[in-house]
Amino acid sequence: MALTIKEQLSSPGGILKFLIKHNTIFIFILLVIFSALISDVFFTSVNLSNLLKQVSGIGIISIGMLIVILTGGIDLSVGSMVALLAVTFAILVNTVVLPLAILLTILIGFGLGSVAGYLVAFQKMAPFIATLALMTVARGLGFIYSKGSPITFKTAGGEFMSNFANNSILGIPNIAIVFFIIVILAMVMLRYNVFGRLIIAMGSNEEASRLSGIKVNKYKFLVYAISGSLAAIAAIVVASRTNLGSPNMGMAWELDAIAAVVIGGASLNGGKGTALNTLMGVLILGLIGNILNLLNVPSYPQQVVKGAIIIFAVLLQRFESK
Amino acid sequence: MQNLESEYRVEMTGISKSFGVVSVLDNVNLKIKHGEIHALLGENGAGKSTLVKILSGVHQKDAGQVVLNGKEINPKNTHDGQVLGISVVYQELSLVNDLSVAENIYLHKLGASKFWMNWKEITNDAQQLINSLGFEIDASAIVRDLSIVQKQVVEIAKALSEDTKVLVLDEPTTVFDPTDAQKLFDNLLRLKKEGMSIIYISHHLEEIFKIADSITVLKDGVDTGSMPVSEIDTDGVIRLMIGRELKDLYPTRTSKIGDDPIFEVKNLTAKDTLVHNVSFTVKPGEVLGIAGLGGSGRTETAKLIFGADKKKSGTLLLNGKEIKTNSPADAVGFQIGFVSEDRKEEGVFLPLSIRKNISVTSFSSIAGKLGFISVDKEYANVLSLIEKLNIKTPSSEVNVKNLSGGNQQKVALAKWLSIDSKVILIDEPTRGVDVGAKVEIYNLINEVAQKGVGVIVISSDMPEIMGISDRILVMHEGTIYGELPKEKFSEENILRYSIGKPLK
Ligand SMILES: Nc1ncnc2c1ncn2[C@@H]1O[C@H](COP(=O)(O)OP(=O)(O)OP(=O)(O)O)[C@@H](O)[C@H]1O
Ligand SMILES: [Mg+2]
Repeated sequence: MALTIKEQLSSPGGILKFLIKHNTIFIFILLVIFSALISDVFFTSVNLSNLLKQVSGIGIISIGMLIVILTGGIDLSVGSMVALLAVTFAILVNTVVLPLAILLTILIGFGLGSVAGYLVAFQKMAPFIATLALMTVARGLGFIYSKGSPITFKTAGGEFMSNFANNSILGIPNIAIVFFIIVILAMVMLRYNVFGRLIIAMGSNEEASRLSGIKVNKYKFLVYAISGSLAAIAAIVVASRTNLGSPNMGMAWELDAIAAVVIGGASLNGGKGTALNTLMGVLILGLIGNILNLLNVPSYPQQVVKGAIIIFAVLLQRFESK
Repeated sequence: MQNLESEYRVEMTGISKSFGVVSVLDNVNLKIKHGEIHALLGENGAGKSTLVKILSGVHQKDAGQVVLNGKEINPKNTHDGQVLGISVVYQELSLVNDLSVAENIYLHKLGASKFWMNWKEITNDAQQLINSLGFEIDASAIVRDLSIVQKQVVEIAKALSEDTKVLVLDEPTTVFDPTDAQKLFDNLLRLKKEGMSIIYISHHLEEIFKIADSITVLKDGVDTGSMPVSEIDTDGVIRLMIGRELKDLYPTRTSKIGDDPIFEVKNLTAKDTLVHNVSFTVKPGEVLGIAGLGGSGRTETAKLIFGADKKKSGTLLLNGKEIKTNSPADAVGFQIGFVSEDRKEEGVFLPLSIRKNISVTSFSSIAGKLGFISVDKEYANVLSLIEKLNIKTPSSEVNVKNLSGGNQQKVALAKWLSIDSKVILIDEPTRGVDVGAKVEIYNLINEVAQKGVGVIVISSDMPEIMGISDRILVMHEGTIYGELPKEKFSEENILRYSIGKPLK
């Protein structure tokens, strides 16, 4: 039988091992305590709700990134997709009814992701290359369609979205709720659904998966399509928050998403990673940014600290696998 | 300091080791003389591989002493072990697939002495080494393109490429056919004469009596003593290993064989391999053996049927109806199963738990309409299989990479034998499995056949294939050379057909 927490803690060196195993959660808790200690603004509802709003967009694409990384792939196109899809959404909001605008944006995201999925699964292109190409294409298209400048929402539908994105329920920002729902869905799918099992199996041994009768290509295709769809949802969220779609949105978000997934303990080789840990990764990255802002640390040193935290997190995971 | 030349080259005394809370070795002693072949025996999970990994520096002991040539050693990693002259052919292949044979053999020298490597010289050296062992492999070939047998030869050559004093072979012959195994034995006997100390781990007990000088048996991490091989027989070894007598290794075949074939293969020819014009039939309830030498196309035939390799021509009939298997998913759709001979690369998911490994083929019975898995059903299924196959593990949540080799093999089998199939292809069912567990597997195969499944078993183990099959096909150079009914089963007959000669 699996060891209970108590047994884990009481075995030799158990506490240390337990901490290392659940390091993402502990880093997160430590950071929260640390933040609360050094800044009295941190634990105000305004700050926390800002923090959640800031991370939601990246958080949503991080879940897509996680699913792709679990299969052993990578999706570099999501940041640019957010830009292109935010522009698309803004245009659609101003031309068609809101539900249709939302639906079409998600469908287009699915379609764009499918292109990457098709190239990777059926043309056997390396995920890095296929999505790198798509990344520049999407960014370029974003600029073309927006003619290089932001498109503001002008309709009642747009107003509704912008209200939705800036309001909260019980102190939790609506868009964070959207993000959390996606996290929970991903947790359930990865844990209890065949889909999750199969992509984890594929990521840990593709040949064995194929020989187990898994339609490897189909699922590879699907994960990129899902990642594209989640990029669309992220785009709708960020566009609504600012009341506009701009081709400059989502700049380098793919890197933050990869960082969040990796801080969450996932392996870039595939087969290892959970949605809950990715959520922690997202929150850790957000927290670092938040606390450094509160401390008035300028943005370049912030990048240095972020990088250092990534290295630290990954080093910790090396202990775990030993 | 001890200056006296000791009688023993290697003395491991009082070795203990646990992984987390699981104790694997407890106060084990192992002593190897100069110029001796010492067999290390024991059930799956007894701790054999762990013990030799402590000798070579992969694992660190918790307690005990390792003495080499009278000096205590404490290898912290495999490099330390190599420097001391300890070379190991591990149970699991550990070659770099993207490098050439020669590069793999001299991998340990890369970056060691010179900045520039002389590839031509290295390739020549490697080629000579392989030739001197009596095998034929192109030293400049990329390892990925080799068969599993060839890869194993490369592993052995790699172990011998340095100044080896102590050679450890952890189940080296599991992938070999009898001719290849004999070549290896000739080499080992020669090396022994030259003074090398050899530790030999195997579940093929007949090999032990052929080449070993003495044996040590491990049972559940405790050594039950060492003795010269002349003082014991097979039954005695089995008793020490499993703690009881073993009556019948092969179950009596009880299944009723149907009249009409459940599965027919007609003129099957491969696009990319040597397999051509393969035709045969299997009846429901029948265990059909496929024998042949390594490289005769047995595995390739199975993969072709299963849709893992590309076909050029030929037809497959399931219950008289033509089916097309262009991918393994198609084959699985027709309820055809396939257990690969290469469990590490193709059979199991090493980083995943036993539960997730076994379930990967059984979602149709443990998951509902929308693909949600019933946790209860899943655990019930997995736990019953762990018990049935006697998989040695503290829980179903242990990752397969932490199981012993034989127990990994049982996981690979469990995945397929637990689901409903019409035809099942099993390539080397008991590779690396101990004698006791072999019986469990044979019984399971028998049980599956009893349900009316057509079972096709490929095996290089002659007694095994004769023991469990109702009929044997022998392959030679990519096609079926001959068929043996039960009355004609004999090692000689199989061998004659294997080398393309008619029966006497
Ligand atoms: N890295 C590891 N972590 C945890 N447990 C391990 C690890 N390696 C081995 N074990 C456990 O140690 C025990 C002994 O394993 P070992 O591989 O030494 O067995 P073995 O005698 O070589 O068996 P086989 O004949 O099947 O190869 C097994 O129960 C195995 O599950
Ligand atoms: Mg072993």
